[in-house]
Amino acid sequence: MITLRGLTKRFGATVAVDALTVDVAPGRVTGFLGPNGAGKSTTMRMILGLDRPSAGQALIDGRAYRELRRPLHEVGALLDARAIHPARSGRAHLLATARSNGIPTRRVDEVLDTVGLDARAAGKPGRTLSLGMGQRLGIAGALLGDPPVLMFDEPVNGLDPDGVRWVRQLMRSLADQGRTVFVSSHLMSEMQLTADQLVVIGRGRLLADAAIDDVIAGSTVAVRVRSPHPDGLAALAARLAAAGATVQAADRTELTVTGTTADRVGDLAHELGVRLHELTAQAATLEQAFMELTADSVEYAGGPTEGGQR
Amino acid sequence: MSAQTDAGSRPATAPAAGAPGVFRGAVAAEWTKLSSVRSTWWTALAGLLVMAASAGQLAIYAANANTNDDPTDDRGVVTVGSVLIDSVEMTQYVVLALGLLAITAEFTSGTIRTTLQSTPSRGRVLLAKAAVAGAVTFVLGLLLGGVGALVARPVLGEWGSAPAAGTFGDIVAVAIYLALVGVLALGLGAALRSAVLTITVLLATLMIVPLSLQEPDIDVLNRIADVFPGVAGGHFMAGDTEPYPSLVGLLLLAGWAGAALLLGRYALRRRDA
Repeated sequence: MITLRGLTKRFGATVAVDALTVDVAPGRVTGFLGPNGAGKSTTMRMILGLDRPSAGQALIDGRAYRELRRPLHEVGALLDARAIHPARSGRAHLLATARSNGIPTRRVDEVLDTVGLDARAAGKPGRTLSLGMGQRLGIAGALLGDPPVLMFDEPVNGLDPDGVRWVRQLMRSLADQGRTVFVSSHLMSEMQLTADQLVVIGRGRLLADAAIDDVIAGSTVAVRVRSPHPDGLAALAARLAAAGATVQAADRTELTVTGTTADRVGDLAHELGVRLHELTAQAATLEQAFMELTADSVEYAGGPTEGGQR
Repeated sequence: MSAQTDAGSRPATAPAAGAPGVFRGAVAAEWTKLSSVRSTWWTALAGLLVMAASAGQLAIYAANANTNDDPTDDRGVVTVGSVLIDSVEMTQYVVLALGLLAITAEFTSGTIRTTLQSTPSRGRVLLAKAAVAGAVTFVLGLLLGGVGALVARPVLGEWGSAPAAGTFGDIVAVAIYLALVGVLALGLGAALRSAVLTITVLLATLMIVPLSLQEPDIDVLNRIADVFPGVAGGHFMAGDTEPYPSLVGLLLLAGWAGAALLLGRYALRRRDA
């Protein structure tokens, strides 16, 4: 269990993380989402006692990371796959890490095997490792102490499709074993497949902390309505607008309605006696939900794309 | 694929978390890190070569400086140990790189985060590094002293003397000096983070500033220079009685090393990794 209470980090005048209060529970995969610069990595570094919070606290099973004596048995983390000495072999890197926490050498070979790095790959100096191999090595390091809490910062970066699927299965199995799994990513489709719970932040603030299905369900679902009767459709549009929905008329025979459900539109049409030729709810995606949640907090927004508005 | 070896019954806490065990683990990790990069061994080899060259050269100077035709009346005869001690002046910069790189390489490569994740106590990390860097530079110092003596003795010829006990004592003093300077470099490196900056500060502290202070030969300035680590270490190795007993020289140098470690710990605690 990871507990954040009012966790805040300021760099000068900038607030990187703003009073985050979140519980990351065991037994499920919790996705950690946010646009670039939202404060995901800073939050993870504070959990690991690497950055000092400006205010608030981050606890692991009730204790601050800096108080842990053999932390690798309690928390495993992959932060930066590139963080290896250019001349040190991956295996020596893991061996040093293991020894610091009294973990036997045999365990180093076990985790290397788990992440699929053979003796040749693990013997190569750090500077020659590809990003994908670095990720695998970093994951191996996180698993070393067999910890109940695991954190991964963008673990699928640089992995091939096979590796991505492997990471997905690994997260799943770790959570199924009852561990706390906290994974940051910017790949929405990947998160939709992996996570049970989502923590979404933007500009350091908590935007959502909910089950992934609820987050997706909370996103705007557009309903398309077609009718051969322009007058009836106009009346329907007026009723929908009065009920608080947002209505866009594509032309005289077609509406796009947001802020309501297809069921509700159908009921109203029935009440008004408007004949419909189409009533379609567009499928919600995590990506859509994420865009809406973070619309106001994107640090580096691109310009609007031509014809992107419907 | 499972990462698990004993699914279900995970130990949440570490086995036998005794204080010495935790520190021993940190030391083992530091030794593994230091010994697993080739640059460590190249640095040691470079130190041996510089020592051999330096001791040889100084021995030639010592022999050539003698104009007394009769070495048996003792004037102008130098001990092999004194040549060693003078050779350290140059050689120390190669050796202290070991202490320095043990920490600055971690900042450069980003492994400091892995290190602090494994051992969150900043003081423990730095002490473990100091133990390893100190032990390695001490052993290297013994080797350097031995090599220097082997080179200097034949070059000095009739102008040199090498009483066994005295020479051995000088070699040990050289090793202690190098170990403490190595720890000093480590502490400064932890505080300053950059290898280049640390080397610059070390050059200034060990050589440039005290030399500048001694240059005008004003008593007050000389007294100040005597407190600097390189000068204090020199008095210790030479076994001087003036301006203070050699033991005071040793304590001054150890004080500098300890202060550098405290400074490094303060920086590691305060700054984000």
